Amino acid sequence: MDEREMMGVIESILFVSGDPVNVKDIAQVLELDVRIVRKLMNKMCDCFNFERRGLQIVAVNDTYQLATRPEHGEYVEKYIGRERVQSLSQASLETLAVIAYKQPVTKAEIEEIRGVKCDYVINTLVNRGFIHEVARMDTPGRPILYGTTDHFLRSFGLASLKELPPLKSE
Amino acid sequence: MSYLVKLQHFEGPLDLLLHLISKAKVQIEDISITEITNQYLDTLTMMEQFDIEVASEFLVMAATLLHIKSCILVPKAKQEFEGDQEDTDPRQELITRLLEYKKFKETGNKLKDREAYFSRSYYKLPEEIISMDKKEIIPTDLDIASLQEAFLNLLNADRNKNRKKIQLVHEIKRDPVTVNEKVNQLKEYFLIHSQTTFFQMFNKNYDRDDIIVTFLALLELLIDNFLDVYQNHPFGDIVIKRRA
Repeated sequence: MDEREMMGVIESILFVSGDPVNVKDIAQVLELDVRIVRKLMNKMCDCFNFERRGLQIVAVNDTYQLATRPEHGEYVEKYIGRERVQSLSQASLETLAVIAYKQPVTKAEIEEIRGVKCDYVINTLVNRGFIHEVARMDTPGRPILYGTTDHFLRSFGLASLKELPPLKSE
Repeated sequence: MSYLVKLQHFEGPLDLLLHLISKAKVQIEDISITEITNQYLDTLTMMEQFDIEVASEFLVMAATLLHIKSCILVPKAKQEFEGDQEDTDPRQELITRLLEYKKFKETGNKLKDREAYFSRSYYKLPEEIISMDKKEIIPTDLDIASLQEAFLNLLNADRNKNRKKIQLVHEIKRDPVTVNEKVNQLKEYFLIHSQTTFFQMFNKNYDRDDIIVTFLALLELLIDNFLDVYQNHPFGDIVIKRRA
């Protein structure tokens, strides 16, 4: 099997899956080393971008997923007659920022930074799949420690947490 | 007529403080507690005037500001030991918090732009692939008649349900015999007869209404001490005797 054929197989798998596919699963199917697959995937992503195809491969935390390009969003939305979804509120964004940079973090710590109660916002973010419970803190009351999800990374165009913009004020 | 005034919405006391500081065009590090406290309290008063419920967090911050202000005003007790002489600025904690909050607020806005852009990317659902591992169970004892029967049962069940639904108007019929009429009938009956049993009183074509009316009439006559009633065993026929 040459490289082009492997890429073809991977593209088929990504199409059928719809959901993000872990690099390990691809490696297993192709009977290849994970590192080789990772390289192949990088090449594929570049290839898709270079050819300016309608689909792109979204890489998040060692998983890959086919998606339409955001720059074509306008036309896709026109076709499906979808109105722009309401963007996140100021409160949600602030809370999400605190969680993204401080994770794992408890509700109390978030409230300390924001200076307001955050129960409702945290609930909203959990329901929208941006954050989830990652562990419990080993202190009295065993408070929930929150962290961001892969869905968060995908929605914000980040391949991993390392790609978060630096936290600083102008 | 009341006026509606739209005030800027603040996410919390820190947000409000940042707003006041930026309006005063000073650096966070250089804030004057006196000024900022006055402005902060003025804003709270204004919010109350405009009927906005001031969240408790805002009040906590007001107390904190006043506390810092008092710390600045009250002359410090002289430190006895030179080693302990940390000259801490009472504003320091607040300044640190404000700087920290500002970082997250601004980063949140940066994230907003990213989300607005990347949310216009669309994904597809996984292909539905019907698993071939499990064999489909095909019942063997089926014929076209049982299918028809099943279908008709379903239809009838549906029709009955619909019929019940259609019957919106229910006519309440007048009782053919009222309790009072029955009481009089029974009195006449016992002028002639001295004893009978409950079920002997009905002809062949009695219905539930008859039984109820007769029973109620019987109870009326019992209250009037007109009759004596007893049962030989539970659920047995009721023996009815005229009182002597």
